[in-house]
Amino acid sequence: MTEVSERLRQATERDQIRRMRFVSLLEGTTLIVLLFVAVPLKHLGIYRGATSIVGPVHGLAFMFYIWMLIQTISGGGWSKGEIARLLIGAFIPFGGFVNERALKRRELLGARD
Amino acid sequence: MYLWLKAFHVAAVVTWIGGMLILSLVFSVLSGNALSRSSDVSGMVDAVRKWDRNVTTPGMLLTWGLGLAMAMQAGWFGARWLTLKLVLVLALSALHGVQSGVIRRLFWNPSFEAPMLMRASGTMTPVVFVFVAILVVIKPF
Repeated sequence: MTEVSERLRQATERDQIRRMRFVSLLEGTTLIVLLFVAVPLKHLGIYRGATSIVGPVHGLAFMFYIWMLIQTISGGGWSKGEIARLLIGAFIPFGGFVNERALKRRELLGARD
Repeated sequence: MYLWLKAFHVAAVVTWIGGMLILSLVFSVLSGNALSRSSDVSGMVDAVRKWDRNVTTPGMLLTWGLGLAMAMQAGWFGARWLTLKLVLVLALSALHGVQSGVIRRLFWNPSFEAPMLMRASGTMTPVVFVFVAILVVIKPF
């Protein structure tokens, strides 16, 4: 690979990871709002419609995160362990924030091939 | 309200599927063609990549959001035709995700050989979409 194409690769992958970090935070935040705000509001009888608003919003954020993950790994350069970690994190409360930190580390290290 | 959602949903679907077909065409043109790997095509790959990011992907997100809003408003969740349609839409979304990743790779590595799946996506996309259209228009079950 030429130096120009290597620089292009690093810049492109850095942009991709930056977008992935944003979506990871979005997914993580909507899961926290769903579990720790909307669900208690519903079960305490304060606002029963809370989950039917936050639920679909989190559903869309989760789908977009999985889509971004497919898009990111299809560009190549990701190990099975990293992919599994990014996938599992989406199902666990606060996992989105842990993933965002991991993605930031990778962004700082420079995207590998 | 429902008809407004439907109008914008259809417009978003056309934008999304049209974008996927553009990607399919690029993979088809570039597959195994040494001439097409010249620097002349790097501008085209970059333009398609940007189109995908700025037009096709927002089209897909709007398709999801408006489709969800329509299904909730009409109370269709649980209907078998919708469940099957959602499976097909998820498959199309996944295919688009792979296309989007591969075009990014082609941008910085023009000699990268796109997987067979990408070359077949030009056929797969319309075929799957025909089933989606049948399910949503006919609602057979």
